[in-house]
Parts: sequence; C-alpha cells; structure tokens
Amino acid sequence: METTAPTKTKKTPPMWVLLVIIGLNILASMAIGPVMPHVQVAPEALTPTVNLPVLGEFALTNTMVAILIADLILFWMAFRVNRDLKDGDLHPKGLAGVLEAVIEPLYGLTEQTAHKWADWIFPWFASLVFMVLIANWMELIPGVDSIGFFHEAHHGAPVYETRQLFSIGNFELTTITAEVEAGDAHAESYPGFVPFVRVASTDLNFTLGLAITAVIAVQVLGVKASGGSYFKKFFNFDGVKEMFSKKEDKRQFAPLFAFTDIFVGLLELISEFARIISFGFRLFGNIFAGSVLLFVMGSLIPVLVDSVFMMLEIFVGLIQAVVFGMLTLVFMSMATVSHDEH
Amino acid sequence: MTPETAANLVIGLKYIAVGLVMLSVIGPGLAIGRLAAAGLEGISRNPDAAGQIQISMILAIAFAEAIAIYALVVAMLLLFVG
Repeated sequence: METTAPTKTKKTPPMWVLLVIIGLNILASMAIGPVMPHVQVAPEALTPTVNLPVLGEFALTNTMVAILIADLILFWMAFRVNRDLKDGDLHPKGLAGVLEAVIEPLYGLTEQTAHKWADWIFPWFASLVFMVLIANWMELIPGVDSIGFFHEAHHGAPVYETRQLFSIGNFELTTITAEVEAGDAHAESYPGFVPFVRVASTDLNFTLGLAITAVIAVQVLGVKASGGSYFKKFFNFDGVKEMFSKKEDKRQFAPLFAFTDIFVGLLELISEFARIISFGFRLFGNIFAGSVLLFVMGSLIPVLVDSVFMMLEIFVGLIQAVVFGMLTLVFMSMATVSHDEH
Repeated sequence: MTPETAANLVIGLKYIAVGLVMLSVIGPGLAIGRLAAAGLEGISRNPDAAGQIQISMILAIAFAEAIAIYALVVAMLLLFVG
C-alpha cells in the first residue's frame, strides 16, 4: 500500500505508434522521392520589393518571418512568467518555475564574472541567449524550410516538377516530385519554390545585426564604467606623456614604451571590429552548415537518418546560443575593468 | 579549348578549391583536442574548480571553433555563390 501521495504520471505513447509513423514515412518516400532543396546564402523574398521612404528597397524575407515568430514566443514567455509570479509565491509553478531553473545558473555565472555590474549586464546576456536559442532551435520544427509557395521561374533559380496532392475549394496542396534539369527545353513552364519560414540564424543580416548591437553595448558599458577615459584604451598616449617627464629614469626607455603603447591601442581598436565579424560568422556558419546538413541528409536517406542529425543540431544550437551570450558577458566585464597603469 | 570544356574545367577547379580550403580545419581540430585535454587535466587535479574550468574551456573551444567556421564559410561561398 502506497504511503506517499499518488503522483501524476504521464503516459507515453505506446511503441507501435512510433513504428506506424516510421512505416508511413517509408511509404511516403517511396511514393514521392525526396528532392534536394536549393541552398542559397541570401534569404528569399516573400513579397515583391517596395520602395520605403527611409529604408530604401524593402521586401519581407522568410527569415524576417522567423524572427517575428521568435519575438512572439519570447513575448508569450514573458507574459506567462509575469502572470505566474503575480501572487508572490517563492516556489513559482508553471513556466516561471521552469525558467527559474534556467535563469538562476545564468545569473550565478554573471555574478561570478562581473561582480559589480552583473545587474546591468545580465539582461543583455540572458536576452541574447534566449533570442539566439529560439532562433537556432526553430530549424528542428517540421514545416520550417519545407512548407512554402511556388512562383514563376526566375532566371537561374532551380525549377521543380510538381504534383497536386489534394485541393479543398480554393486551397491546393502541391508537392515537389523532381528537380528539372538546367538545360531542359521547357524549364520556363515549371515553378520555383520559396519556403515560408527560414531559420533566422542562417541570415547574415540577423547575426551581424546582433553582433554589432552587442559590440556597441560593450562600448556603452565601458563609457558608463570609466567615463570618457575608456577610449584611452585605444588611443594610449601615456607613454608620450612620460617622454617629457622630469625624472631621468622614467625618461630613459620612454620612447620605446610610447611606441608599443600606441601600437597596442590600435591593435585593440582593430580587434573590436574583428569581434563583430567573429560573432556574426560563428553563429551564421554553425547554423547554416547545420541546416545544409539536415537538407542533404534528409534528401539522401529520407528515413531515420535525419533524426540523428537533429539531435546534433539541438546540441549545436544550444551551445552557439550560450557561447554568443557568454562571449558578450566576458567582453562586457572586461570593458568595466579600468585601464591599468604600468 | 571549347567554351564548354572551359566551363567544365572551372566547375572542377571550384570543387578542388573547396577541398583545399577545408584542409585547414586540421588546425582548430588539434587546438580543440589540446584544450579539452588541458581542461580535463585541470579538473582531475582540482575537482572543486570544475565549474570555472568547464566554463573557461567551453569559451576557449568556441574561439577555436570559430576559425574552423571561417574556413567553412569560405567553402560554402565557393560552392553556392558564384
């Protein structure tokens, strides 16, 4: 007889459901063979280009849709946590409890790295981690990169033969059966394909934009911590000042120190710009390579192999999000340390 | 040389170039191996500092992996753009 209170156990679906799904997968890929998706670095536009007054040419791209969806998920999480914490319970239930287990280690890490400035840095760190995490993990959702619409063939874009699966009234569901060869005579009559949603981190605009924002935030924090003398880190003329010092022993090797100080300062300035490139391309390269891997593996062996690579992508997406945040944290806490004197 | 042969030659050279670019990934591979070894040795010597060592190790591995990603981006640009 159980003495403890009965706990609510979740019933997992039975094993035969999984086998039925795998069987349906095999049948579907035998009926319509998989086609290798077209991979391109630039995101595809969903609407025709319009000319906006300030921004210039603008078209809604499928990565922008992904960013909007990520924003909506983040807002939903924020409102849910706000509602769950309203009664001031010290042990929050629901989404707030789950997120507390995530945010507490992050805040501990922030306090460990940047002792005094943790309260300023932590919103940046956590927001970057959550935003990049949601943007990275979106490539695992079925339907992303695979559900889209057809358009008239542009010159040079690959075109596909299609077959209509079913149609309800005005809505028809069509699938791609094969890719038309480039030299085909009737290539203009086949349509090209554009997915509705594409993973946000495969867009260089998103990753470079986040990188520029993070690096500018680091500079702002440096100015906030040390005032205007923060920029003496880059333009270091202390050695030049010491060349004209009254004391003889300070003046001896002063020109050498002055030269090295100025050189090191310029090197620091260049490395700030290199950080923008490094942040942007690290995230872009990892996630773009992962999504190309999923495409290629999915089109070569349509059954079961892609799941293994999706496990890898879960891990890679998590690590890249945490690394983006942690590097921002480390650079911010380095910026708050005042410029050392010899 | 006919234009068609020249076009095929360019495509072949493109693939050879992609292969050569990805040879450079051996550097970050070695670097990550040595970093992990140093991290594990540090943890085995001082298990109390395991948290700090793990964090620094992951950070350093991310830096080393970024170099490999640069090479991958160049290879992708060669393959898919131009």
